[in-house]
Amino acid sequence: MNKIKILFFATLRDKAGVRSTEMEIPAGVAVQGLKGILIEQFPNLNSQIMDHCLASVNQEYRFDEDKIPTGAEIAFFPPVSGG
Amino acid sequence: MTFPLITSITEDEIDLNTLLDAITLTSTGAAAIFTGMVRGVTTRDDPHETTYLEYEAYKPMAEAKMKQVAEEIRARWPVVEGIAIVQRIGRLYPRTPTVLIACTAAHRDTGVFDAARYGIDRLKEIVPVWKKEIKPDGEEWVEGEYHPRPGE
Repeated sequence: MNKIKILFFATLRDKAGVRSTEMEIPAGVAVQGLKGILIEQFPNLNSQIMDHCLASVNQEYRFDEDKIPTGAEIAFFPPVSGG
Repeated sequence: MTFPLITSITEDEIDLNTLLDAITLTSTGAAAIFTGMVRGVTTRDDPHETTYLEYEAYKPMAEAKMKQVAEEIRARWPVVEGIAIVQRIGRLYPRTPTVLIACTAAHRDTGVFDAARYGIDRLKEIVPVWKKEIKPDGEEWVEGEYHPRPGE
Protein backbone atom coordinates (compact mmCIF):
# COMPACT_ATOMS: atom_id res chain seq x y z
CA MET A 1 0.00 0.00 0.00
CA ASN A 2 1.01 3.61 -0.55
CA LYS A 3 0.17 6.25 2.07
CA ILE A 4 -0.46 9.59 0.35
CA LYS A 5 -1.63 13.11 1.23
CA ILE A 6 -4.34 14.79 -0.82
CA LEU A 7 -5.04 18.53 -0.95
CA PHE A 8 -8.09 20.26 -2.43
CA PHE A 9 -8.25 23.93 -3.42
CA ALA A 10 -10.99 26.40 -4.41
CA THR A 11 -14.08 24.74 -5.93
CA LEU A 12 -12.63 21.27 -5.34
CA ARG A 13 -12.28 22.01 -1.62
CA ASP A 14 -15.88 23.25 -1.49
CA LYS A 15 -17.06 20.02 -3.15
CA ALA A 16 -14.88 17.67 -1.09
CA GLY A 17 -15.72 19.52 2.13
CA VAL A 18 -12.12 19.21 3.41
CA ARG A 19 -8.80 20.95 2.73
CA SER A 20 -6.75 17.79 2.97
CA THR A 21 -6.93 14.09 3.72
CA GLU A 22 -4.58 11.15 4.01
CA MET A 23 -5.30 7.72 2.60
CA GLU A 24 -3.69 4.45 1.63
CA ILE A 25 -3.96 3.41 -1.99
CA PRO A 26 -2.65 0.31 -3.75
CA ALA A 27 0.87 0.59 -5.17
CA GLY A 28 0.97 1.49 -8.85
CA VAL A 29 -2.25 3.51 -8.97
CA ALA A 30 -2.16 6.38 -11.47
CA VAL A 31 -3.85 9.80 -11.16
CA GLN A 32 -6.92 8.55 -13.03
CA GLY A 33 -7.31 5.63 -10.60
CA LEU A 34 -7.04 7.96 -7.62
CA LYS A 35 -9.78 10.16 -9.12
CA GLY A 36 -12.03 7.10 -9.16
CA ILE A 37 -11.24 6.36 -5.50
CA LEU A 38 -12.04 9.96 -4.54
CA ILE A 39 -15.33 9.96 -6.46
CA GLU A 40 -16.39 6.93 -4.41
CA GLN A 41 -15.27 8.46 -1.13
CA PHE A 42 -16.60 12.02 -1.56
CA PRO A 43 -20.31 12.15 -2.52
CA ASN A 44 -20.08 15.63 -4.09
CA LEU A 45 -17.14 14.80 -6.37
CA ASN A 46 -18.12 13.32 -9.72
CA SER A 47 -16.36 12.35 -12.94
CA GLN A 48 -17.28 15.62 -14.66
CA ILE A 49 -15.57 17.65 -11.93
CA MET A 50 -12.54 15.35 -11.72
CA ASP A 51 -12.09 15.25 -15.52
CA HIS A 52 -12.07 19.06 -15.71
CA CYS A 53 -9.78 19.76 -12.74
CA LEU A 54 -5.99 19.98 -12.71
CA ALA A 55 -3.78 17.64 -10.68
CA SER A 56 -0.31 18.01 -9.21
CA VAL A 57 1.93 15.34 -7.71
CA ASN A 58 4.69 16.61 -5.42
CA GLN A 59 3.97 20.12 -6.72
CA GLU A 60 4.37 19.38 -10.43
CA TYR A 61 1.48 19.16 -12.91
CA ARG A 62 0.61 15.52 -13.59
CA PHE A 63 -1.92 13.76 -15.80
CA ASP A 64 -4.28 10.78 -15.75
CA GLU A 65 -1.77 8.17 -16.83
CA ASP A 66 1.00 9.28 -14.40
CA LYS A 67 1.71 6.79 -11.60
CA ILE A 68 1.63 8.09 -8.03
CA PRO A 69 4.95 7.64 -6.20
CA THR A 70 5.28 6.47 -2.60
CA GLY A 71 4.31 9.02 0.04
CA ALA A 72 3.29 11.61 -2.57
CA GLU A 73 1.41 14.87 -1.98
CA ILE A 74 -1.33 15.16 -4.60
CA ALA A 75 -3.44 18.27 -5.13
CA PHE A 76 -6.65 18.73 -7.13
CA PHE A 77 -7.86 22.16 -8.17
CA PRO A 78 -9.61 24.08 -10.96
CA PRO A 79 -7.71 25.95 -13.71
CA VAL A 80 -5.86 28.75 -11.93
CA SER A 81 -7.22 32.31 -11.64
CA GLY A 82 -4.49 34.35 -9.94
CA GLY A 83 -3.21 37.77 -10.89
CA MET B 1 26.98 36.61 -12.05
CA THR B 2 23.69 35.84 -10.39
CA PHE B 3 20.86 38.25 -11.10
CA PRO B 4 18.39 39.14 -8.36
CA LEU B 5 15.13 37.17 -8.26
CA ILE B 6 12.21 37.66 -5.88
CA THR B 7 9.24 35.28 -5.93
CA SER B 8 6.65 35.52 -3.20
CA ILE B 9 3.12 34.67 -2.13
CA THR B 10 2.28 37.10 0.66
CA GLU B 11 -0.58 38.41 2.75
CA ASP B 12 1.26 41.71 3.17
CA GLU B 13 0.90 44.89 1.14
CA ILE B 14 3.01 44.88 -2.04
CA ASP B 15 5.82 47.39 -1.54
CA LEU B 16 6.89 48.54 -5.01
CA ASN B 17 9.81 50.69 -3.83
CA THR B 18 11.43 47.88 -1.85
CA LEU B 19 10.97 45.38 -4.69
CA LEU B 20 12.32 47.78 -7.29
CA ASP B 21 15.36 48.54 -5.13
CA ALA B 22 16.07 44.81 -4.80
CA ILE B 23 16.15 44.21 -8.59
CA THR B 24 18.05 47.35 -9.59
CA LEU B 25 21.75 46.86 -10.37
CA THR B 26 24.33 49.53 -11.10
CA SER B 27 23.97 48.51 -14.77
CA THR B 28 20.16 48.88 -14.71
CA GLY B 29 18.60 51.72 -16.66
CA ALA B 30 15.03 50.52 -17.16
CA ALA B 31 12.31 48.66 -15.32
CA ALA B 32 9.01 47.42 -16.75
CA ILE B 33 6.46 46.97 -14.00
CA PHE B 34 3.04 45.41 -14.29
CA THR B 35 0.67 45.48 -11.38
CA GLY B 36 -2.93 44.33 -11.30
CA MET B 37 -5.48 45.55 -8.80
CA VAL B 38 -8.99 44.64 -7.69
CA ARG B 39 -11.45 46.26 -10.14
CA GLY B 40 -14.50 47.47 -8.24
CA VAL B 41 -16.58 48.32 -11.32
CA THR B 42 -16.42 46.18 -14.46
CA THR B 43 -17.89 47.63 -17.66
CA ARG B 44 -16.52 45.19 -20.28
CA ASP B 45 -18.27 41.90 -21.23
CA ASP B 46 -20.38 41.17 -18.14
CA PRO B 47 -20.83 44.56 -16.37
CA HIS B 48 -20.97 44.16 -12.59
CA GLU B 49 -19.63 45.43 -9.28
CA THR B 50 -17.16 43.64 -7.05
CA THR B 51 -17.26 44.03 -3.26
CA TYR B 52 -13.96 42.24 -2.69
CA LEU B 53 -11.86 39.28 -3.85
CA GLU B 54 -10.69 36.43 -1.64
CA TYR B 55 -7.40 34.89 -2.90
CA GLU B 56 -5.89 31.56 -1.93
CA ALA B 57 -2.76 29.76 -3.08
CA TYR B 58 -1.07 26.38 -2.98
CA LYS B 59 1.89 28.23 -1.62
CA PRO B 60 4.92 25.93 -2.08
CA MET B 61 3.86 24.97 -5.62
CA ALA B 62 2.96 28.58 -6.45
CA GLU B 63 6.39 29.84 -5.43
CA ALA B 64 8.05 27.01 -7.39
CA LYS B 65 5.99 27.87 -10.49
CA MET B 66 6.88 31.57 -10.10
CA LYS B 67 10.55 30.54 -10.23
CA GLN B 68 9.75 28.54 -13.38
CA VAL B 69 8.14 31.64 -14.95
CA ALA B 70 11.28 33.63 -14.10
CA GLU B 71 13.48 30.96 -15.72
CA GLU B 72 11.30 31.08 -18.84
CA ILE B 73 11.69 34.89 -18.94
CA ARG B 74 15.48 34.58 -18.66
CA ALA B 75 15.59 31.96 -21.42
CA ARG B 76 13.62 34.25 -23.77
CA TRP B 77 15.11 37.61 -22.77
CA PRO B 78 18.70 37.06 -21.59
CA VAL B 79 19.08 40.86 -21.31
CA VAL B 80 16.73 40.93 -18.30
CA GLU B 81 18.66 41.66 -15.11
CA GLY B 82 16.39 41.46 -12.06
CA ILE B 83 12.95 39.84 -11.81
CA ALA B 84 10.31 40.25 -9.09
CA ILE B 85 7.07 38.23 -9.10
CA VAL B 86 4.73 38.79 -6.13
CA GLN B 87 1.14 37.63 -5.61
CA ARG B 88 -0.81 38.95 -2.64
CA ILE B 89 -3.48 36.65 -1.16
CA GLY B 90 -6.27 37.01 1.38
CA ARG B 91 -9.23 39.41 1.27
CA LEU B 92 -8.49 42.30 -1.09
CA TYR B 93 -10.76 45.26 -1.76
CA PRO B 94 -11.17 47.37 -4.92
CA ARG B 95 -8.19 49.57 -5.86
CA THR B 96 -5.79 47.29 -3.96
CA PRO B 97 -2.78 45.95 -5.92
CA THR B 98 -2.93 42.13 -5.98
CA VAL B 99 0.00 41.12 -8.16
CA LEU B 100 3.28 42.61 -9.36
CA ILE B 101 5.72 41.55 -12.08
CA ALA B 102 8.81 43.69 -12.54
CA CYS B 103 11.75 43.12 -14.87
CA THR B 104 14.85 45.31 -15.09
CA ALA B 105 17.36 45.73 -17.91
CA ALA B 106 20.08 48.10 -19.03
CA HIS B 107 17.83 49.87 -21.57
CA ARG B 108 14.12 50.06 -22.36
CA ASP B 109 14.45 48.85 -25.97
CA THR B 110 15.74 45.40 -24.94
CA GLY B 111 12.42 43.55 -24.77
CA VAL B 112 11.93 44.31 -21.09
CA PHE B 113 8.30 45.38 -21.65
CA ASP B 114 7.59 42.05 -23.39
CA ALA B 115 9.33 40.18 -20.58
CA ALA B 116 7.02 41.66 -17.94
CA ARG B 117 3.98 41.01 -20.16
CA TYR B 118 5.05 37.39 -20.59
CA GLY B 119 5.47 37.12 -16.82
CA ILE B 120 1.92 38.14 -15.95
CA ASP B 121 0.44 36.05 -18.79
CA ARG B 122 2.34 32.96 -17.63
CA LEU B 123 1.48 33.54 -13.96
CA LYS B 124 -2.19 33.49 -14.93
CA GLU B 125 -1.66 30.15 -16.70
CA ILE B 126 0.44 28.01 -14.37
CA VAL B 127 0.82 29.53 -10.87
CA PRO B 128 -1.72 27.82 -8.56
CA VAL B 129 -3.65 30.77 -7.14
CA TRP B 130 -7.43 31.17 -7.16
CA LYS B 131 -9.82 33.97 -6.33
CA LYS B 132 -13.40 34.03 -5.18
CA GLU B 133 -15.37 37.09 -6.22
CA ILE B 134 -17.79 38.54 -3.68
CA LYS B 135 -20.47 40.72 -5.27
CA PRO B 136 -23.35 42.66 -3.75
CA ASP B 137 -25.70 39.80 -4.68
CA GLY B 138 -23.60 36.69 -4.08
CA GLU B 139 -20.21 35.07 -4.53
CA GLU B 140 -18.48 32.74 -6.99
CA TRP B 141 -15.07 31.28 -7.69
CA VAL B 142 -13.35 32.79 -10.72
CA GLU B 143 -12.18 29.91 -12.89
CA GLY B 144 -9.26 30.07 -15.29
CA GLU B 145 -9.17 28.44 -18.71
CA TYR B 146 -5.64 27.16 -19.13
CA HIS B 147 -4.84 23.46 -18.86
CA PRO B 148 -1.07 22.96 -18.48
CA ARG B 149 0.59 20.31 -20.63
CA PRO B 150 3.21 17.75 -19.52
CA GLY B 151 6.42 19.57 -18.71
CA GLU B 152 4.73 22.76 -17.59
